[in-house]
Amino acid sequence: MAFNTKNEGLNIESAPPILKKNKKKPFLFKLKKNKSLLIMTLPVIVFFFIFSYIPMPGIYLAFIRYNYNQGIFKSPFIGFENFRFLIQSGQLATITINTVLYNLAFILLGNCLQIFVAVLLNEVASARFKKITQTVMFLPYFISAVIVGLLAYNFLNYDYGFLNVMLKKLNLEPLAVYSTPSAWPFIIVLTNLWQGVGYGSIVYFAQITSIDSEIVEAAAIDGVNAFQRIRYIILPWLKPTFILLLLFSLGGVLKGNFGLFYNLVGNNSTLFKTTDIIETFVFRSLMINFNFSMSSAVSLYQSFFGCVLVLFCNWLVKKIEPDYSLF
Amino acid sequence: MFKSLKNMTALLLIVILVLAILTGCSQNAGPGGQPGDKSPSPGGDGPKDVIDTSEFVEVVWYHLGDPPTNDQLDLAAEEWNKILKDKVNAHLKINFIEWADYLTKYNLLLATGENFDMVNTASDWLDMWPNAAKGAFMDITDLLPVYAPQTWASVPEEHWDQCKFNGRIITIPEDQYTQWVNHGFYYRGDWAEEFGITEPIRDWDTLGLYMQKVKDVKGLIPYDVVGSKAHELLDYWFASYTDSIMLEVPGNIFYSKSYDDLYTVYSPIFEDTMVEMAKKMKEWGDAGYWRSDVLNYTGDTREALKAGQTGVDAHHTQTYASLRVEMDEKQPGSNLQMFPVHLQRGNNLIEMSITHGAQSVAARSKNPERALMVYDLMRNDETLYRLLNFGREGVNYVVVNGKRTRPEGFDETAHSFFSNFWGGRMDKFENALPSVRVYDKIGDLYAEYDKYKKPYPYAGFVFDKTPVETEISALNDVKARHVPPIVFGKAGDPEAAVEAFRQELKAAGYDKVLAEIQNQINKWKESRN
Amino acid sequence: MAKNTIRLDTSSYFVRSFAYAFISLLAFACLIPFLLMIGTSFTNENVVRQYGFNLWPRKFDLLAYRLVFENPNLVIGSYAVTIIMTFFGTAIGLFLISMAGYALQRPDFDYRNTISFYIYFTTLFSGGLVPYYLLIVKVLGLKNNYLAVFLPLLMSPWLIILMKNFTKSIPFAITESAKIDGASDFLIFMKIILPMSKPALATVGLFLALSYWNEWYNSMLFLEANVKYRPLQLFLYNVVNKVEYIRNSAASSNIPPMDIPLETMKMATALVAIGPIMLVYPFIQKYFIRGITIGAVKG
Repeated sequence: MAFNTKNEGLNIESAPPILKKNKKKPFLFKLKKNKSLLIMTLPVIVFFFIFSYIPMPGIYLAFIRYNYNQGIFKSPFIGFENFRFLIQSGQLATITINTVLYNLAFILLGNCLQIFVAVLLNEVASARFKKITQTVMFLPYFISAVIVGLLAYNFLNYDYGFLNVMLKKLNLEPLAVYSTPSAWPFIIVLTNLWQGVGYGSIVYFAQITSIDSEIVEAAAIDGVNAFQRIRYIILPWLKPTFILLLLFSLGGVLKGNFGLFYNLVGNNSTLFKTTDIIETFVFRSLMINFNFSMSSAVSLYQSFFGCVLVLFCNWLVKKIEPDYSLF
Repeated sequence: MFKSLKNMTALLLIVILVLAILTGCSQNAGPGGQPGDKSPSPGGDGPKDVIDTSEFVEVVWYHLGDPPTNDQLDLAAEEWNKILKDKVNAHLKINFIEWADYLTKYNLLLATGENFDMVNTASDWLDMWPNAAKGAFMDITDLLPVYAPQTWASVPEEHWDQCKFNGRIITIPEDQYTQWVNHGFYYRGDWAEEFGITEPIRDWDTLGLYMQKVKDVKGLIPYDVVGSKAHELLDYWFASYTDSIMLEVPGNIFYSKSYDDLYTVYSPIFEDTMVEMAKKMKEWGDAGYWRSDVLNYTGDTREALKAGQTGVDAHHTQTYASLRVEMDEKQPGSNLQMFPVHLQRGNNLIEMSITHGAQSVAARSKNPERALMVYDLMRNDETLYRLLNFGREGVNYVVVNGKRTRPEGFDETAHSFFSNFWGGRMDKFENALPSVRVYDKIGDLYAEYDKYKKPYPYAGFVFDKTPVETEISALNDVKARHVPPIVFGKAGDPEAAVEAFRQELKAAGYDKVLAEIQNQINKWKESRN
Repeated sequence: MAKNTIRLDTSSYFVRSFAYAFISLLAFACLIPFLLMIGTSFTNENVVRQYGFNLWPRKFDLLAYRLVFENPNLVIGSYAVTIIMTFFGTAIGLFLISMAGYALQRPDFDYRNTISFYIYFTTLFSGGLVPYYLLIVKVLGLKNNYLAVFLPLLMSPWLIILMKNFTKSIPFAITESAKIDGASDFLIFMKIILPMSKPALATVGLFLALSYWNEWYNSMLFLEANVKYRPLQLFLYNVVNKVEYIRNSAASSNIPPMDIPLETMKMATALVAIGPIMLVYPFIQKYFIRGITIGAVKG
């Protein structure tokens, strides 16, 4: 524990005096003092201003009856009318809950598995083994949702699916996976974990490599065993990153991965009870009658709740451990 | 939290600032700006005796479909542009909206009003009326007689009436091109004969018999259908088992009672026939006429049919006409037949709406006059028409015995030609040079249709969905959830499934939408008398 | 790589063997579907339809690849476009991201929280498709311009915050002492911080490169059919989609008939898309492969 507080200690000690000093100075002075760092962030500021903030007023689209000829800001304002279709079919609660639960499972289990893999990879001695397995684990990331859907069908379908061929060989009853809603949360979560493990574990693995190796060696000489090393050196080192990534993902907790769900479940509404998310619902409702305003309304709904959640969690984290917060 | 709030306030300020900039922009040249305000009816300036074409312009069309991957279209364009330059001092450039995500791209194009002059549209598959309501198309009522005189003269007045939105013409119909896009099942004539089915199949029961035999005798999946076909199969059933006529309104569940009762709106989903269908399909599904996991199957039925791996496919008559030729090559002697679903009772085979293919002038076109002049020539001048639709004679096609065929040394990759022009094909030019890729006895089927066909009765009826848009979205969702399992017999007890379906439709606002359609139909009926 | 020089206790042996077992299993689960894709892509479509996917082709068929490479010029062109964009995008983006990441984690930078929030906020709210399209096409005038694809991918909030977090682990004392020596912030970043952040740069650079490599959405929206050479993913996406839509479009009768092995083509295109980037991967890998395994010799 003592090892990693060293760095943070430095930050905390050195930061406050500077901050305090500046609070009293006028705005221009502050600007001048931060000039060089501001310039270094300027490209980023400009970038997001252009590509994100300029289009942002378009959120207004969610409140109008969009007339192409009049343009966004001259079209008639209709209040929350565009949001009504979310409630109309009575599915909003189900799909919202499904979306949130799936995302929480993806975020929590995903990060845990990625940390687990990164830590284990770090324990592996053979560099070649590391290289090969890391490359192989990255492969699923490249497989598009469409193909994931096809692969899943080929594994699971009743007639000639790999799983059922095996079961039949073992003289067992074949499983009708595509008519068993309760199986799908597991299948979907597993698929998501499988796709993200290579990509995500790299972040943690890279983080591990930045631990000062002298600390580890010193600990080894002191007789620290593998479990203790992981428990007291590596995991605490990864904690800030873990919290940061968690916070980062929370904002999107209402935004579902359409490709994954659509390609795995598709038209099979017998599974919707456990697999329907906001995106698939919106797709069904709007694919036939295309409506930009209604899709804007949906994403505003998703953004709003994501935003509230993140502000709250960030505030909470800031209370407990200011250095871990997102902003 | 406080700090975040401060941040939020700062951001809000930024957003407001941007808003101010943007609205400022739009007053000058930005979105929703001037071009649209300027151009609605140039005809109002008073038609001139001599049209001024002194300024050279390039007219841009957008066609739906993939672009050719060779340069044949460019070469043909060179030829037609020589002629166009000569005649109307203009060039025609064709851009394409590819099939991948075409709805997104098509709607974005209309919504943002980019610089183009004409675009494909269709009342049944490209949302022509909703887009017209959103102001995507220019009112060309006054322009047509002046700038597209040949088209103006050749399209009869009652056809123009079908192109009117709020009393103004907003599109040019492909009304002189015979197409039958009524759907039906394709089955193999050779197998049917082998099974002792000698008469052409014209009902579902015989089709079921055929499928059972395909399973028993051939050991194949009789109809290797994909999950997304469910909605069409439901339409097929209603076409066969009721006299109803589907209305061109969103949702695809609203019909009028029959040709004799055109103004009563209802949905067969609430009739006994829906339960009958659910039962029959459960029977078929249990009998293994399709895959057990059909709902998740996304394969390709037509390729399976061509490979001799399944016995049934389904789509419309136009597709049949070319598929038949392919089947004769791939499965010689297969004698592919079609069971047009409307012929089971034969009371509701309606001629296609003439706005199945159409071409509109974009609301913000800068040169609507010249665009129309170019269109008029491309549609009515035989040389230009052929260049646009067939390519260059001798390279892309040759004429042998009055039929259009491929020249010797024709290379598919290098010489194939298409321009996806679906907004004004003409029978008189197409029939003069029929393609060998179309089944030569398709006329027999057309002749059979002629015995039953009825003219399209809803010309000029345009449904305004704005008052019930929310409910329609909800109905779409309910339908998408209930139809696939019912149609493929995967919904458990058929009666209970249909009952649940009906109740959810009701809850989603079925009655409100029905009343709105009925109301608008009544108004339209009154306005016609 | 030398074997351990420091004694290994039993717990390390246990953890190590468990690591080998678990990672192997996981890698196997990731490899099998991939091998299935390869096997299927070389199989005759009719066989696939009947028997499903296979590791080893029951009936060998190259048609899928022949169709993907039907116009070799176009394939090579799209590879070129994608490779060029990936290269420059990663180089420029990485520089800007790491610079911002460094500045944003400096505890003495007064605006770091405000700017971090300014960046993060864009992941929460976005203007949506239409305003974004208007921005690119009308305001910036980038329709049918490669920049419409290139620019928006240069940075992402996720990568900036990742970079910021990585850079945090470099002690602030280093910056401070350099400042006392009179070095400017930019110089500190270039001469001291950058060389120390190799694993971070490799990771963020890899992710950035991947986002360029996998990009198709902006290309689909902004590069129309008349742009001859289009980014690889869009090109391949279209090869497959073209067929699917032709099948079911209301106006299909005009298109010349062709044999399309749809499923095997999907596999083939996916493999064609993965190929080159997987070859590059081992080169980047060396920057973060060096873990801190106990006993591994330094250097």
